[in-house]
Amino acid sequence: MEAIQFTLNGKSVQYDGSAADRLLDVLRDAYRCTSVKCGCKEGECGACSVLLDGKLINSCCVAMGAVQGSEIVTLEGYRETARFAVLDKAFAEISAVQCGFCIPGMVLASEAILAANPHPTEAEVRVGISGNLCRCTGYNAIVTAIMNASKEGNGLW
Amino acid sequence: MVNGYIPASLPEALKIRAAQKVIPYAGGTDLMVKNPKDAVYLFLGKLPELTEIKSDAEYIRIGAAVTYTQALNSSLVPPLMKEAVSGIAAPAIRNAGTFGGNLGNGSAKADSVLIDFTADAKLRLMSVRGERVVDVTKFYLGRKKLDLAEDELIVEILLPKTGLENYYYKKVGGRNALAISRVAFAGVLRMDGEKIARFTAGFGAVADTVLRFPDLEAQLTGKTLSEAKEIKDRLLRQYSEKLVLTRGRVSAEYRKAVCMNLLRDFLAEKGI
Repeated sequence: MEAIQFTLNGKSVQYDGSAADRLLDVLRDAYRCTSVKCGCKEGECGACSVLLDGKLINSCCVAMGAVQGSEIVTLEGYRETARFAVLDKAFAEISAVQCGFCIPGMVLASEAILAANPHPTEAEVRVGISGNLCRCTGYNAIVTAIMNASKEGNGLW
Repeated sequence: MVNGYIPASLPEALKIRAAQKVIPYAGGTDLMVKNPKDAVYLFLGKLPELTEIKSDAEYIRIGAAVTYTQALNSSLVPPLMKEAVSGIAAPAIRNAGTFGGNLGNGSAKADSVLIDFTADAKLRLMSVRGERVVDVTKFYLGRKKLDLAEDELIVEILLPKTGLENYYYKKVGGRNALAISRVAFAGVLRMDGEKIARFTAGFGAVADTVLRFPDLEAQLTGKTLSEAKEIKDRLLRQYSEKLVLTRGRVSAEYRKAVCMNLLRDFLAEKGI
């Protein structure tokens, strides 16, 4: 049978491994997208979050066969955007990052929140990152950073 | 491609399902937790026949591969179902997890399945041999045991269009998000004028399957709220006797106490 075709960070790629392989492992091992972190392998932590056809998805819970024909964006691709620049600044300004392990997922969750709703309430932001665990920050700084990005990036989302 | 089939249509999927030993894969959120080495998946998540929410004269028809996020954004899906699925896991899981997968996984903790039970939903199942429609309450034969043949696929969930408006729903989990239900309860009260037309109480996550007791529910049918109040104590005693629960992540005693508290709260909120 044919290889699995999909778009990774804007580039068309072909994967000829097993359709049962985890997207998380394939992104890290075959395509060296090491921003995608493995925290739990059961959809509980959000460290492996990517955008699949624009939606936030835990890449640990996706088999490669489900990716056929889809568009995947990881932080490696997202960091080239103007939206990322706004989030980058907002997170850095108030030190919303400590160890950093959850941050690629947090940033993509932030993108998913703001893409759906450019001016979310604090409660909506908390729901939006509710699947992304952070063991360092206590979340408040991250929530503030996303709220600040929403103001600073007015018109981008 | 090895270990998987990506059919382009439902008929093609049914042919593969009949000819090969495959695991139906919709959202993957449950399956991929284990993802055994030799798994061969039948990828259904993008089939147009399975990813629509439609409405006909009698039913809201939810395709088996419709995601929770899709349902939350649909004006067709009743508020009771929306409230239950909004409490499932977190956004990334709701973007992938599906109604058919929640059923197919066979767990009594499946939050959308509790609503299927409480709503008396029907399921449309298909195979190359044809199709059949079954009551969800009969689809679950026991713990992780489903009335689904080796060659069948769950195609649609049929929710009654009306009668679910006056509801009560509570999920008790260990935390606000990413919580597996410790106890989930859904109740529906439909009035016909002054009289109760339908009273339903479903208990999720406390036994091998979602629990309902139709004979107890029927005791309130045709009664006014004040008549229902008169038999409330007896009814609660009967529920307490019938709720023989198993131990899971939490004790059977805790489960039972929470079930009874939620049932009492439901009745009180609805004026019984």
